[in-house]
Amino acid sequence: MKNLLISTALSVALGATAAFAAEVDTIAVLTPEQGSDYGWNQQGVEAAKAAGEATGVEVIVAEGLGYGDVRAPMRELAAEGADLLIAHASGYNTAGPEIAAETGVPVAIVDSPDALQDGLVADYTLSGHEGAYLAGRLAAKMTTTGTVGIVVSGEPPSWNSQSAGFAEGVHAEDPDVKILYSVIGPAAYSDAAGGNRVTTSVIAAGADIIFGQGNGSSFGMIQAVESNKATDGSDVLFIDVIGDKSELDKGHLLTSVVWDMTPVYTAMIEDLKNDEFGTHGYEISLKNDSVKLIKTPQVDEEAWAAVMDLRDQIIAGDITVEPKFDAEAVRSLVTVSE
Amino acid sequence: MSGLLTEAFLSSLLTGAIVAAIPMLLAGLGEQMSEKAGVLNIGIEGMMLMGAYLGFFVAYETSSLWMGFLGGMLGGALVAVVMAVLCVWLGLNQIVIGIGLTLGAEGLTALLHHFQFSRTYPRLPAPERLDIPGLTDLPVIGPSLFGRHLIVYLAVLAVIVLAALYRRTNLGMTLRAAGERPAALDVAGGNVLGIRVVAVLFTGAMAGLGGAYLANIGAGLFIPFMTGGAGFIGIVLAMLARGRPLWVLIGALIFGAALSLTTALQVAGSNIPTDVIQMLPFAAVMLVLVLFGRRAKLPSALAASYERGAR
Repeated sequence: MKNLLISTALSVALGATAAFAAEVDTIAVLTPEQGSDYGWNQQGVEAAKAAGEATGVEVIVAEGLGYGDVRAPMRELAAEGADLLIAHASGYNTAGPEIAAETGVPVAIVDSPDALQDGLVADYTLSGHEGAYLAGRLAAKMTTTGTVGIVVSGEPPSWNSQSAGFAEGVHAEDPDVKILYSVIGPAAYSDAAGGNRVTTSVIAAGADIIFGQGNGSSFGMIQAVESNKATDGSDVLFIDVIGDKSELDKGHLLTSVVWDMTPVYTAMIEDLKNDEFGTHGYEISLKNDSVKLIKTPQVDEEAWAAVMDLRDQIIAGDITVEPKFDAEAVRSLVTVSE
Repeated sequence: MSGLLTEAFLSSLLTGAIVAAIPMLLAGLGEQMSEKAGVLNIGIEGMMLMGAYLGFFVAYETSSLWMGFLGGMLGGALVAVVMAVLCVWLGLNQIVIGIGLTLGAEGLTALLHHFQFSRTYPRLPAPERLDIPGLTDLPVIGPSLFGRHLIVYLAVLAVIVLAALYRRTNLGMTLRAAGERPAALDVAGGNVLGIRVVAVLFTGAMAGLGGAYLANIGAGLFIPFMTGGAGFIGIVLAMLARGRPLWVLIGALIFGAALSLTTALQVAGSNIPTDVIQMLPFAAVMLVLVLFGRRAKLPSALAASYERGAR
């Protein structure tokens, strides 16, 4: 009788636990541009697919939705049975929480760390600042004009933290290296012509290595890097972020701070299952290779070895790189001319 | 900031202004002819996008920038054909159709790009520049103004040609009549619908050329939504220019310089917040509108469809 009571109590307890844990069969990822941009969108889509495969969850990809109102496709995906909507653009972080409240389907958004809602809204403002710091060290080692440039197509927190990390890396390697900084335009994510125009100007002002963050506009930056010589006549080099464009490279890609968001999305799915979604943010780091630099033929071997040594020091905690998410912090680190 | 006022930097500032101005100039010149004939062509942004896509596609496939420019003009004109049929012949609302065409072209070009280029992102080689002997070597302005691709000089030449056409030819007078007094033109034996169709097609071709310039010279590749409102700026320029092509050129250069200045101020390490700097081009447009907007002289029959005998 006693055993029966205990087993009954255990069954009820386990049943209750199971009842609280959410079932996750399908997730959806929504991206503003096509998931084939060798950057933010592609990394997001591929990570969602990888996380789905790792956790046995079906993944719906809704790509190329633009930067406007995504409420309609979000409602549609919620109605289709998605258990999680990953709104993979900072422009979606107003609509995301609204749709989560309206439909009850959890939504993950970016660049809104204060928007967490238990069980409903999670934020994954990621930062590759450690990788950007290493890229800054590498750039400072390899510049021949003594000037490097940062060109961005917007100032979302994730990019600010990488711009700041890059600038800190440059300063740490050589405080005399000048850092020029320019934003293409307000949310000019797909402004390839603007990327080309601004990068051309930054090169003309002396930069021979460009740290570019831009989604579609990155291709305009790369075109400018390929089309212009530095002021000392040398080739201009480009440092990309988030994705890996090495297969498109024509000899000007120095490295890329590549992100792997698979651990983040996998953790989100697990959090949903464990009823912990919306209680905390997520991060990527050098430790698990979710942030890493790629090596290209343009990288000097000696400089690369030194940078990899620095990477080990960051992982070991000997060097600390703090993320700085606001644009003011970036501007305080770049060169102000007299 | 003075430390950055080097020859290379100022040259780059001027270069940036011209690179930004040319697409708006071409679109503005096209829009001007349409408006003169009484058609408000809101679809010009879509025509630019189609021109950018087809211009890049043809240039990439033929390895010829000039074929690309022709392709761009064809792409813009194709969208203009739809505008001409729906708005000129069928008399549908020009604003609604124009917006629809822009949205449609955005979607179509993004789709085409997705299937053709989104896995490879091909890029064109750097365009060849035409150096004008004696002038290209001038300090600061030389390389910026006199070391450009031939299409830049042709765009400026188009300003002179169009100014002469509007002032000194029967065609110019006919265009004005179609926009000011279409019924009078009809009574005088003119073909109102025919001249409007020609004007709309010309607008499409010029906008398409502007888009092709943006893709082939400005960026070296096509990216969805890459025109970023250049066509709409072209509409503003055309409206403020009071029918004068030279004013379109001046307006485009002012806006281009404002765009280029945003980069210059940032690179110079200005302490002005980036958000404020980024407002400069649009603030410039607002300022010009405030100063000159009330003087804008638009054709009497602008945006009104024409039907013989209708009151």
